[in-house]
Amino acid sequence: MPASTETAATTVEQAAPKDDYLTYVEGVGHIPRDIYKYVKSDPAGDLPRYSVHIVIQHFLVSTTFLVLAATGLPLHFSDVFWAPYLTALFGGVDTARYIHRIAAYIMMATAAYHLVVVTGGTIRKVLKNEFDYKRTQIPRPKDLFDMLHDIKYFLGFEPFRPKMEKFTYKQKLHYLAIIWGTTVLAVAGTALLFPDIVSKTIPEAIFKISPRAITDGGFPSLFQDIARLMHADEAVMALIVLAFWHLANVHIVPGRFPFQWTFLTGRITREHQIEEHFLEYIHNLSEIPEEKEYMKNLLKEKGFERPSTMPASPGEHPLESEAGPAKESTFEREES
Amino acid sequence: MCHKYRFLGRVDETGKTVNYNVDEKIFVNTVHKNVSCRECHTYIKKVPHDPVSEQVNCGTQCHVTTPFSKERFSHGRIIEIYNGSAHAPRPDDSPELKEAKPDCKFCHLNPIYTKVEAEKIDFEASLRRCMNCHEEKGVTVAYEHMTHRLGRKTSRSPQEIVELCAKCHQDVELMKTFQVSERGLTAVETYNQSIHGKIVTLGGDDAADCISCHASDKLHDIYKKDDRRATVAEKNLRKTCAQCHEQTNSWFVQVAVHPTTEREENPIVFFINLSLRFALYGTVFSLVGLMLLETYGRKKHGIKFLLRNGTSWLGRAKQKDKK
Repeated sequence: MPASTETAATTVEQAAPKDDYLTYVEGVGHIPRDIYKYVKSDPAGDLPRYSVHIVIQHFLVSTTFLVLAATGLPLHFSDVFWAPYLTALFGGVDTARYIHRIAAYIMMATAAYHLVVVTGGTIRKVLKNEFDYKRTQIPRPKDLFDMLHDIKYFLGFEPFRPKMEKFTYKQKLHYLAIIWGTTVLAVAGTALLFPDIVSKTIPEAIFKISPRAITDGGFPSLFQDIARLMHADEAVMALIVLAFWHLANVHIVPGRFPFQWTFLTGRITREHQIEEHFLEYIHNLSEIPEEKEYMKNLLKEKGFERPSTMPASPGEHPLESEAGPAKESTFEREES
Repeated sequence: MCHKYRFLGRVDETGKTVNYNVDEKIFVNTVHKNVSCRECHTYIKKVPHDPVSEQVNCGTQCHVTTPFSKERFSHGRIIEIYNGSAHAPRPDDSPELKEAKPDCKFCHLNPIYTKVEAEKIDFEASLRRCMNCHEEKGVTVAYEHMTHRLGRKTSRSPQEIVELCAKCHQDVELMKTFQVSERGLTAVETYNQSIHGKIVTLGGDDAADCISCHASDKLHDIYKKDDRRATVAEKNLRKTCAQCHEQTNSWFVQVAVHPTTEREENPIVFFINLSLRFALYGTVFSLVGLMLLETYGRKKHGIKFLLRNGTSWLGRAKQKDKK
């Protein structure tokens, strides 16, 4: 196996075409794919990413989610030792249940707010003829290929990360999961809060749509059981995914540690934008004159104006030899 | 007289020491403080008395007269209801079953006082309970007066009721010997899985406990599900559920109050639960795996944890460090 993987890796590197590595932008020059290793970034963020609405929505959703989890989890795991202590924090289980409902209403209102903002923004862009579905959360086949490409990169079979738009495959996955999760939690939560009404309206609605559907027998009980299981399961899944994946991804992984300010400032660091959202960065270059100027100067400073100096292997191009890896190798030689 | 002495007692036939002391301090705080000994222990005719062979009968009329009806008080009426319920011993019961069935004193341990705030008392519901023994003559005023002055109630919290019922009904081995139905065997377990049970476990006050559904205001009229007098009998369900769920309808009463996810009893729910579990673990492990792989890959390509000197990549950070 090792032999075959090695050949695969080399063929990929050799096959990587020049224009895949260099991206030409009018008025800036040829931008190498790994320029993110050489740019200067402000931890608070250099480039716009989220509008103030999204920042507010994120704040509302995250706080209400924490409250919902803290009031809902002890109810689901009512027989474990910490459950009474956690509900005691909210003034007993009866009060905790009311707080859970209030937080749920706020969260649903936030979801509505988000829908309004997203729809409004889309309409505005369509009217101005600026709408580009590639820069939105709408999933497309490229995301799947991006993911496979990225996994190959992580395993060392690809020299560079895929060129991704404003939202990467991970973010689109998470966004879809949030839409699904919020819908399930809201519907199931309604079924749990108004069991008497929901158990009547849903079978009756089904009966109206198709009178021959099997709505008698155990249907209301089944629906209620599913609601009960899914509400808890979705919530536990959301909590685990947020705690172990989302938080790790945004604050703990290298380059983001110990804190990424994007969710407060709505701005993203330059190196992050170029690394994970390369195509969005290209958009940024044409939209923000200062950024265009910065990149032009950086390319000049690094002596990377003329693409003809570009060697076949990315490991040997002027940027690399000037900086880290080359120095490391000389250091090794001195020691030996 | 004699029973006030603290060490009044004897060694009985089986060699066990029995203490017959009645602590006055405890007794004067019970609900029976105004009833003299012989009104319940009627079989005692002389002092010192003969060996006791009878049990106290709570249906006895005592000399306490109710202030409004001027009748001698008795628990007789509630005992009549109890005798008709599923918990009363029947002539054709097996001896073990007779032994296991709870008598008055099994549940009614004196005293069970709980402090309550006056505004939290549901006078209507409480009064209906009073009517089990008392006449409806001026009791309302008296009751409100007393609860106001005492701020106490003698009933159990929902949590205590579930505990009390679970004492026997959770004992699957015991229940099996009485040929209880499959659903009946797991009743406590399934109740605790329900939203009612979960709220009550955490000490909630406004969720249904056992007797909220299985008994009416008479409290002792607990019958088997197929008895037409039972509150949980099919035709009575709507009325029972409507006590809390105002919009009760014929669909709603089909919802399982004792939900189960067992494969044999509820296969659809069992498989849904199983697939949800798989989805949960699958999602979590694949996402965390992706994150770890990503960290490994990016680390290998030279990223550092901290964003220092404007970059988190090896290149320039190193250069600046050396300067």
